[in-house]
Amino acid sequence: MSDAAGDGEGGFVERYSTRALFAGTTVAAVVALLVAGLLFPDSLAGTLAAVLTSENTLAAALRLSVPIAFAALGGIFAEKSGVINIGLEGLLIISAFGAVYVTEVTGGVWVGFVAGVVASTLLAALFAVVTIKFRADQIIAGLAVWLIALGLAPFASQVIYNSPNTPTVQTMGSIAVPVLEDLPFFGALFSASPTVYLLFLAVFCSWYVFERTAFGRWIRASGENPKALDTAGVSVTHVRYAAVIISGVLAGMGGAALSLDLGQFTGNGPTMVNGKGFIAIVAYLFGNYNPVGAFLSTMLFAGLDAVQTVLQLQGIGVPRQLIRITPFVVVIIVLALVGRTQLPEAAGDHYETEE
Amino acid sequence: MSPADRARKALSRLVEASATERILISSAALVLSVLIGAVLVLVAGRMTSCTAGEAVYYFGTGFCYDPVVVFDRLFLGALGDPLSGGWSPNGQFAITLRETTLLLFTGLSVALAFRAGIFNIGTQGQMVVGALATALGVLWASAFVSGLVGTVVLIPFGLLVGSVFGGLYGAIPGVLKAYADANEVITTIMLNFVATGVALYLVSGVFKDPNSAANQTVPLPEFAQFPSLFFGARQDFSIVALGFGLVAIAALYYVLEHTAFGYDVRTSGVQPEAAEYGGVDSKRTIVASLALSGALAGIAGAMYVMMILGTFQTGIPDYGFDGITVSILAGNNPLGVGVAALLFGVLKSGTTVVQFATDVPPQLVGVLRGLIILFVAMPEFFRLLAKGLPGQWSESEAVATDGGVAVDQGGETDE
Amino acid sequence: MASAVHLDGITKRFPGVVANDDVDLEVERGTVHALLGENGAGKTTLMNVLYGLYEPTSGEVRLDGEPQAFRSPRDAIDAGIGMIHQHFMLVDPMTVTENITLGNEPRKWGGLAVDRAGAREAVVELADRYGFDVDPDARIEDVSVGEQQRVEILKALYRGADVLILDEPTAVLTPQEVDELFDVLDELTAQGKTIIFITHKLGEAMRAADDITVLRDGEKVGAVDANATSQEELAELMVGREVLLDVDHGAADAGDVVAAVSDVVVEDDRDVRAVDGVSFEVRAGEVFGIAGVDGNGQSELVEAVTGLQEVDAGEIRFRGEDVTSTSRRERIDSGMAYIPEDRQERGLVMEFDLVENGLLGSQHGREFAPNGRIDWGDTRAHADAIIDEYDVRPPNADAEAHSLSGGNQQKFIVGREFERDPELVVASHPTRGVDVGSIEFIHERLLELRQQGVAILLVSSKLEEVQGLSDRLAVVYEGEFIDVVDPDETTEEELGLLMAGERPGDGDGGGGGFETASEAEPAPSTNADAADGEEA
Repeated sequence: MSDAAGDGEGGFVERYSTRALFAGTTVAAVVALLVAGLLFPDSLAGTLAAVLTSENTLAAALRLSVPIAFAALGGIFAEKSGVINIGLEGLLIISAFGAVYVTEVTGGVWVGFVAGVVASTLLAALFAVVTIKFRADQIIAGLAVWLIALGLAPFASQVIYNSPNTPTVQTMGSIAVPVLEDLPFFGALFSASPTVYLLFLAVFCSWYVFERTAFGRWIRASGENPKALDTAGVSVTHVRYAAVIISGVLAGMGGAALSLDLGQFTGNGPTMVNGKGFIAIVAYLFGNYNPVGAFLSTMLFAGLDAVQTVLQLQGIGVPRQLIRITPFVVVIIVLALVGRTQLPEAAGDHYETEE
Repeated sequence: MSPADRARKALSRLVEASATERILISSAALVLSVLIGAVLVLVAGRMTSCTAGEAVYYFGTGFCYDPVVVFDRLFLGALGDPLSGGWSPNGQFAITLRETTLLLFTGLSVALAFRAGIFNIGTQGQMVVGALATALGVLWASAFVSGLVGTVVLIPFGLLVGSVFGGLYGAIPGVLKAYADANEVITTIMLNFVATGVALYLVSGVFKDPNSAANQTVPLPEFAQFPSLFFGARQDFSIVALGFGLVAIAALYYVLEHTAFGYDVRTSGVQPEAAEYGGVDSKRTIVASLALSGALAGIAGAMYVMMILGTFQTGIPDYGFDGITVSILAGNNPLGVGVAALLFGVLKSGTTVVQFATDVPPQLVGVLRGLIILFVAMPEFFRLLAKGLPGQWSESEAVATDGGVAVDQGGETDE
Repeated sequence: MASAVHLDGITKRFPGVVANDDVDLEVERGTVHALLGENGAGKTTLMNVLYGLYEPTSGEVRLDGEPQAFRSPRDAIDAGIGMIHQHFMLVDPMTVTENITLGNEPRKWGGLAVDRAGAREAVVELADRYGFDVDPDARIEDVSVGEQQRVEILKALYRGADVLILDEPTAVLTPQEVDELFDVLDELTAQGKTIIFITHKLGEAMRAADDITVLRDGEKVGAVDANATSQEELAELMVGREVLLDVDHGAADAGDVVAAVSDVVVEDDRDVRAVDGVSFEVRAGEVFGIAGVDGNGQSELVEAVTGLQEVDAGEIRFRGEDVTSTSRRERIDSGMAYIPEDRQERGLVMEFDLVENGLLGSQHGREFAPNGRIDWGDTRAHADAIIDEYDVRPPNADAEAHSLSGGNQQKFIVGREFERDPELVVASHPTRGVDVGSIEFIHERLLELRQQGVAILLVSSKLEEVQGLSDRLAVVYEGEFIDVVDPDETTEEELGLLMAGERPGDGDGGGGGFETASEAEPAPSTNADAADGEEA
């Protein structure tokens, strides 16, 4: 796994150290905060430390990670195969709405979940056809996917419910593992929404596919040197279709989990997805296309978000509007520090078998 | 020669000619999007409920929404109903021109960056920053002048402030790209969220108008706004602003085609390695084009404040994202941006007409925007369509037969 | 008995081009067959037909007398054909084993996992059978070019190839690596494999092949027995007329030092020293040549001199001034012309017409863009003049660069750069992929400029070119100058050894071959000596 993080070419040493530096700084800051909090429990540091070590924060971070991490996993599949899927945001939106709509109609929350996945998969399939068969520019087509979903979901909600927001439906609820759920702090891992467990499973499966299966190798080859794959007798087109459709399935799980966790889809402005698809892209870039790395960096972003939510509830000084933009600012800083991301060699390029 | 052959030849000849190709593809994308939009309206019309009297009937089925009415309102309504007599430039038509003016600037903003090979999705955020800066700057300056002098001084001043701040905000992703190699697609999207968040914070706090419930700044005095010469004041349109827009088109065209800077930008855009070889400083060109792109977006923001709203209020409409569509539809050509901006001006202005005249949700136009981008992005689709026309031809005959059936059933609509 | 491979009357048309016109090719089992022709003669297209990448417009492919209808490489692979492409079809970040087994991974657990141990074992076994030296666990990006080529061959063998097609296999190899490759080919034919190898090098075709088929302009112009032909006959078949291999070359009349490079170090993006302490001077009126196998730091050195790449250590002086950290634009303006090695990436903007391309590099100059405003009238006249003077065809300034042939593109670049009135011309592979007529033309122009007192830095991997044109010749190996010689006093064999990293006085290196050469880590002082010796 650690060797998968070294996938990049020679210059990765430098990037790796930036990454390490960033991660190291984060850890050091957290440790310093915790120590300060321990020494001065009544100070701001104390409050922050309390927030950081609270089981609720971990629970919130996990919950917030779910949509982002699923989308990031999907993005890894697509981009490793050579198709940059910048439309993840759109896939999240369409599945978030689809899941709530079908849940509301059928009353079955899992039926709704599957429906959300189907909606996202269909849109991803459209994206695949447009970029692979019709060789559209991947960035522009991805943008179109986002904009279509951004219009379509509130449009449908308006048509059906006469409001961009849907009525509330039942939620996923949570599954608790006896005994383990009582662990301090880590108990949050064992008393969570079923989608959290699904996410763990998806992270493991994605890692397994890339590291252990022939299909995973084909995806990598398709993104790094499609010709090598083609001349080895494997259809690049098929591999890319499969990878993009998998990205639709995964992002769909993320979107469905997002809305069914709240039991509602809200479609005002940037909708309830509100940039999570784009943060997912940064998460997998920062995680160096490694599913586990992407999950961990998602937890970092989501952790930030969770901390800000808890802080808000506790009425800590910083204005709400500013706290809300911290994840975006962090993403920009991370990108500036990590700099050039090691894109697969052929990502963004069309591939033709020259027939 | 069979008609199918002739059509196929004509179409493939057109699709291969690259100059005409763009226009053709853009038009085809528009038509296809409208057709899909029509289907969407019909489907949506089945999903909502209405009384039997309100329904329209196609193919023997009742629909709550009528796509013909929707698109009639969308296009003709936006132009102020030129076909029904008694047309006046003062009504909806002025609103269309107003929207066109803003889209001209956001479209040019995106187009300039595109020509430099940079995907500026941050036009929206740069516009927000420009708008807020203009509102605050002009408000401050309006204490020193007034009357006609005020107008003559403050409007250029406001545009300047908007362009400077929009430009600075645009330079941020430029610097990040040039010196830290950070992907501009992601940084500009993030900066949009940041701009909106910071503006909300400022306008709901320090700069909030105490006399308003909305999150907005204190309104600008009348003399600090664009004069509504020739047009009614109600439509918030000024021919002066449109004039600025036309000048901007000409200026950008001139810069790109006739100056050394424009040559640098275009060369970097199509072939960065060759640009470097030719002595183009790629880092500086990246920062300069994004700053200029941001400045154009900032002007759009300034006009939004000084022509339309008279104040800065949170929740600025998606002119920035529409600018992407306008630019892509125009093939990133400044002259094409003029036409595409008018088209999108019609769509935006028509949205409100549709909202008044029908129950169809206005988000429909957002979907159309996405569809148009999608189709314009895939010229290959139209090329294949042209090549595969004989096969396609029989299918379209099948559609025609269906159409015939529809005509028969048209009788039922009269019942 | 039917031939192992028989291509019968193959025609392949692309829109606007006939790449192969009724070509026949017969290859006997267990032999090496060379497919000889100039760039663009249609060799690769023909082999792509055999490999199932292209379907022929007409004609038939027969293997052992059986007609085949390949629709994809998969069909060809299944029929026992393997292809080693000129640009290796390898996935850099994956290991040797992963690359060899790609697409045919041994599986376990009902196909749910790759049997990694099994795959490795199979690769080791295969390498042993043919006596190949490869590390199954190394990443492709970390191994030498020679090893990458062996991986490609193993990849084909792993898929059960009986017929191996090698596309320009020697282009990236040192002379010694070439010897090794030919040994490998002997071993393969001894074990019953059939080999077709594509080349444009006469000598190699004669050395390695049993039979030779010559293509020109998409047509087969001859099939000869390699043991019963001569270089002259092959050359004539290839190009259709007598070739002038000798360039008329007056005595050097070197003047002042125009450019001086001292102890320059350039690191590539992997922080590896691509140029490792190189020093030399170029004087007015002389051609200073740099010979070497591609990828030994030439590109980085040239880009450092021309201002396209940052120098990590050392100094570059031009016309007496330190230009080590001046911008590319300043160097253009001060009289440095540059014919880049990659004309389609660097030298021309392919989407621009020739008018706009004629401006490239001068767009900020006073001549065509006073006050930053481009004078398109003057610019067009300039482009017309280049087209006229340098015989660019078709003579149409409105033609877009990509519509011109390689030779005409190159002539246009040469014209644009020479018309700058430069004091130094840096010419990197100026005749690569250019037709014979244009090569002569470009060589003549270069020498003319030299006669006028311009300093010329010439980099080329074509030995006869650098040897024929240069007044002094440096040989570069792994980023260092191995030696600087008088090209007229040095034989091709001596140059070959230098290019393989054998230092003068190292002895003949015996059976050294590539492995020894790459591992021999020369002491830094040796390099300084070479540089100093040259300066003295």
